[in-house]
Amino acid sequence: NLMGVQLAGSHVHTQEPKTNPLVSISDEPETLYKRLSLLVKGHDKAVLDSYEYFAVLAAKELGISVEKVHKPPKKIERLTLLKSVHIYKKHRVQYEMRTHYMCLELKHLTSSTAAVYLEYVQRNLPEGVAMEVKKTKIEKIPEHIQEPVWDTLPQIEETEVKS
Amino acid sequence: HAPPRTEKMTVDQDWSSVYPTAAAFKPASVPLPIRMGYPVKRGVPPPKEGNLELIKIPNFLHLTPPAIKKHCAALKDFCTEWPSALDSDEKCEQHFPIEIETVDYVSAGTSIRNPKARVVTLRVKLSNLNLDDHAKKKLIKLVGERYCKDTDTLTITTDRCPLRRQNYDYGIHLLTVLYHESWKTEMWESEKTEEDMEEYIWENSCSQKNALDTLLRIKASENVSTVTKEELLASEVVKNYRNSVIALKNEGETENNMSQYKESVKKLLNIQALP
Repeated sequence: NLMGVQLAGSHVHTQEPKTNPLVSISDEPETLYKRLSLLVKGHDKAVLDSYEYFAVLAAKELGISVEKVHKPPKKIERLTLLKSVHIYKKHRVQYEMRTHYMCLELKHLTSSTAAVYLEYVQRNLPEGVAMEVKKTKIEKIPEHIQEPVWDTLPQIEETEVKS
Repeated sequence: HAPPRTEKMTVDQDWSSVYPTAAAFKPASVPLPIRMGYPVKRGVPPPKEGNLELIKIPNFLHLTPPAIKKHCAALKDFCTEWPSALDSDEKCEQHFPIEIETVDYVSAGTSIRNPKARVVTLRVKLSNLNLDDHAKKKLIKLVGERYCKDTDTLTITTDRCPLRRQNYDYGIHLLTVLYHESWKTEMWESEKTEEDMEEYIWENSCSQKNALDTLLRIKASENVSTVTKEELLASEVVKNYRNSVIALKNEGETENNMSQYKESVKKLLNIQALP
């Protein structure tokens, strides 16, 4: 029994946080992204559905809040071409290209979280699927717009304006 | 010939070591009885051995939920937390008023570049900028279509430079220039006429002159002692008339505004309601 107690007590020194040697912390302030909108386009709906499951699960595991997932309607582009190489105008052949869309909107990300998530999700983008990422960055008003400059400049500017 | 690997696989094996990365579908490595393709007449879809349809379609066998969880656990160290003080949109707006929108494009093709990626859109609410009345009106006139009155946002879209950072710098430069120019008052701005005004001002307008004229003539015909203009302006009826005219001109013609105007005119000219 005493042996058991000692072993239970020995877990204290494994509670130190294991510092990952690959993680580097820099001092510059992080840029904040209010919203990250991912639009994924593909020809096959089943592939996009699987990708949606993967992207949503990845966001949840990394602690990113998903605002909404919606599927804009598909767009079909149709062409009518001549079936034969020479003459036979009345016999044509028709092709169509179907593009399915899936839009994922994420809220409140920092730049490192966004970089990690986007890299992970883009490396696992399946073949034949394209993505557009819209990032909305929020910033403070820069210093030179806080006050109008005209109050601080000396009177010399009047002669410059006249000339 | 050797039996396929699937016969030696246990049910509780580690699947992420069978498919660690994206790979083609190997029928001898996947222990699932999948059938895919157009069925033979009065039959079933073809089995997985030698099935081209299964190889063609991109598979997600390397991204099963346990595999995703393992990946995210390893990636979690590189993520930082969102500051908890900024949990709502209004607080973000209050502390960080400028919003910059950029778009990135990922697609397969002969080149990874996309010319649409250099567009930068800047959005600011004018209520957050340090502008006084004249500066705000001048800025709205300078900017024209880029200002939306309903949401009080100025949107600047730049794409004239070849790089995204250059477009961002140009956008900030435009904002700075607009801000400073709107604070300046040029000499020719004093010649602003009534057509240039954004909203209707009743003082020194034809409506005021006509109303005062009419009232003075009414008083003169009744042979009452001449009342001065200031007294007339300060009287209740004239103030009512002024408010109703301003409401009509600025907000447009609604039921309320028209009835208000009717009442004020009746009181001004002392007309009783028709029986």
